Amino acid sequence: MIQIRNDNLQHTKKQLGFYFDQSRCTGCYACAIACRDWHDVQDTTVHWRRISAFEWGRYPEVRVAYLSLSCVHCAQPACMASCPVSAITKRSQDGIVLVDQHQCLGGSVCGSCRKACPYGVPQFSSSGDERMQKCTLCVERIDAGQQPVCVEACPVYALDWGPVDELQKKYGGVPEVRGFSIAPGTAPSIVFKPRWHEGEE
Amino acid sequence: MPQQSLTERTIITSCPHDCGGRCMLKVHVADGVITRITTDDGAEPQLRACCRGRAYRQRVYAPDRLQYPMLRTGKRGEGLFTRIPWDEALDRVAAALQEVVQRYGTEAILYVAYSGNTGTFLHNQLSVFRLLTLLGGFTPVWGSASFWGSLFSSETTYGTVVAGHTCDDILNARLIIMWGWNPAETVQRTTTAWYLTRAKERGVRIVSVDPRYTDSAAAFAAEWIPIRPATDTAVLLAMAYVIIAENLHDQAFLDAATTGFETFRQYVMGETDATPKTPAWAEAISGVPSQTIAALAREYATSKPAKLLTLGAPGRTAFGEQFHRAAATLAAMTGNVGIYGGDPAGFGLPPVGLQPIAGTGLISRKLTGNLPDGARQRPALHITKIWDALLQGKSGGYPADYKLVYITNSNCVNQFMNTNKAARALQLPETIVVHEQFMTPTARYADILLPITTHLERNDIIRPWQGGPYYFYLNKVIEPLYESKSDLEICEALARRLGIQGYSDRTEDEWLRLFWQEAEQMTDSKPLPEYEKLKQEGVYKIPLEKPVIAFRAQRENPAAHPFPTPSGKIEIYSHKLAERNDPLLPPIPMYLEPWEGPQDSLRAQYPLQLITTHCKRRIHSNMHNLPWLRDLEPHVVWIYTADAAARGIRPGDLVKVFNDRGAIVLAAKVTERIMPGVVSIDQGAWYEPGPDGIDRGGCVNVLLADRHSPAGAFCSNSCLVQVEKYDSDTQR
Repeated sequence: MIQIRNDNLQHTKKQLGFYFDQSRCTGCYACAIACRDWHDVQDTTVHWRRISAFEWGRYPEVRVAYLSLSCVHCAQPACMASCPVSAITKRSQDGIVLVDQHQCLGGSVCGSCRKACPYGVPQFSSSGDERMQKCTLCVERIDAGQQPVCVEACPVYALDWGPVDELQKKYGGVPEVRGFSIAPGTAPSIVFKPRWHEGEE
Repeated sequence: MPQQSLTERTIITSCPHDCGGRCMLKVHVADGVITRITTDDGAEPQLRACCRGRAYRQRVYAPDRLQYPMLRTGKRGEGLFTRIPWDEALDRVAAALQEVVQRYGTEAILYVAYSGNTGTFLHNQLSVFRLLTLLGGFTPVWGSASFWGSLFSSETTYGTVVAGHTCDDILNARLIIMWGWNPAETVQRTTTAWYLTRAKERGVRIVSVDPRYTDSAAAFAAEWIPIRPATDTAVLLAMAYVIIAENLHDQAFLDAATTGFETFRQYVMGETDATPKTPAWAEAISGVPSQTIAALAREYATSKPAKLLTLGAPGRTAFGEQFHRAAATLAAMTGNVGIYGGDPAGFGLPPVGLQPIAGTGLISRKLTGNLPDGARQRPALHITKIWDALLQGKSGGYPADYKLVYITNSNCVNQFMNTNKAARALQLPETIVVHEQFMTPTARYADILLPITTHLERNDIIRPWQGGPYYFYLNKVIEPLYESKSDLEICEALARRLGIQGYSDRTEDEWLRLFWQEAEQMTDSKPLPEYEKLKQEGVYKIPLEKPVIAFRAQRENPAAHPFPTPSGKIEIYSHKLAERNDPLLPPIPMYLEPWEGPQDSLRAQYPLQLITTHCKRRIHSNMHNLPWLRDLEPHVVWIYTADAAARGIRPGDLVKVFNDRGAIVLAAKVTERIMPGVVSIDQGAWYEPGPDGIDRGGCVNVLLADRHSPAGAFCSNSCLVQVEKYDSDTQR
């Protein structure tokens, strides 16, 4: 039986992040739509969580892997450093990267975070409200003792969350995976299990 | 972001669409409005919803929901309508029904109903079924676009469709062969992907036999064996050849529990037709290397217990029933019937809980209980023959001329074969009535179009038609939107207008209480919770100490527990089929060369084999219109890299896929994930014919022949096409 983890959130002074098991992900999109629905992101040009498919190899030795990715709540967020009005902050107790939309100048006036983030995270709606928006790690849910909605959505339990050092310990994950390479100086808070290990490809 | 309202509460319900899974939807409601949908975070096994269920809020509040009754003002198919009051709409439907009955007889009413709501106890096609039956009869349809080959085979071979195991038994297998089976994309059952994940991680070897490297192959399989569509039976027969030649079959089980193996053996070894069904023979047909076939045969025969799992796709071919008959025969030969971790390769319902098919019969009997025997129905039309029957009627040998077409729970123009023919055929009837939630390609042909509630606007009870060990109460979450009504409410109102007595003497709640009582009487999985408890908790998961598997009793003591077949044995040789004396439906499983298959001479003109697959962001054609889901991935045709290059097609190019029946335009996905010579398109995209007759919507049924297999299977994977780069400027 798998463990249902509703209880691992009373950690403080930790860097929270995600775990993504690429070996499990079937690319079903449940996490992406759960995120869209929970956060009421109606505009389909905006993606807080995005699924990408990767195909390599030659028939019939072809390989496929999916990547489900949202904001990776970097220890050193390039977006935060780039924001001219300090609208982007890290929550002190857990390192969640949040944007204060009241301060944000908007994508057409500014958009510096979009240029700075190497992971394509900052999103700007094309329908009027163009202040930056992105994954909040479901801060209101975790503060209420729940899991992020994407984690709770996955039918094959490929997503997890928690203090990133504990995730590393728990899963022995790797920092990079097909579709995700670390940009220097950002320290993204995510660990992975790959579908195909080096040498298998 | 919506603020959490103080009045927000969550109501547990599920989803009635036709994927086989049934998942938990926890609908958050504030002030009578749905604010969010979450899923199961409770007891194992959790029933976590897919992207489609999670997007249901957008479906309920979609701006293109049908809001009020409408009357057609344009040409059929144009989609031009005017709003009319309910009274006028119902008067018109009642008058049209009466007029057709008087002038032509009840057989002139053709009722086309399908799986828009599946596994529901109350709200489904039976509302109209009962109305039309009480009116004196009608012409129904038969057949399934999904699983008829499997159903026919399971009933022929095992005498029942209850021939499956619960999902948790996946963990007991040593080998799992996913044969044309892709639950990562089709769902199959809610927990199938999760159990396959766990099996893989426990070291169970999983093999995928499929023309495509599916998401299931990518996520679960250690080996992918590409195979030409519609040639699966040849490979299964060659596996049987290897197993027999190497004496790997379970002779004791064959002796105890089967009949006709010797006849089958003689055919396989070539003793009756001078063609031994060797791996080399099958390689030439299927493209699967003979060594691969032999290795898979040995592995399946010696890795006991092993599951050969399939659902419907290889059987959705010309002679598709032969695939399922051959698969069941291999399961019997390897002794994988009636054992944990094995699988009979039959129709996959496990013997737990109320059987959905029995359940539908229950409802049918209750709702039609006061009807005379036979319910005065007219001879049924196969779902692939509807359009031809409308066009030809009696002059084409059909039993009637069909004057009124009544359509509910079905987007049949889009989802049944030969859509361009449907568009022509539906110009002919005097009246077309459609119950719908959206302006589907079928709704556009209605004369009178009636808006139906979604399942979140009414109460029902449901269980997965694929037989998960649980029930959901489909709680009404919000009041019906706009002027929508349920099929049942509409039929009650029509019954009053038609002077039909006793159509319904119960409220929705009273019907559901009655059905729940009946369900308890019809199932071994007792006791069921009280109705009120089910309604309040929304879900009842039947506690299982261990997996529930079909034919355990027959396995343990075959003498005391015969199979429900005429012989009491697993019928590898079927006397019933022998009596039909139809060379295309032989008494033993045989490979019959499929039309529009790899050896058809039509390939000179249309060289590519088309398969029609299921889409992760739709349920058949349901939910194709939702922007959240459309955004997830484009509608494309998969084409092998070299096949694309030979046609000058690059990734993302618009291409035309065509044959003599029609043409569709969509984007190309150039990929190594599909076999050379094969293209695939997800079924369910909505038909949008242009002025030149070319479908811009990419509805794959435009390309399919309206022809069924000898036993009635929908041959949606037997289709030859050509693909070319589409240049809208030169082709206009």
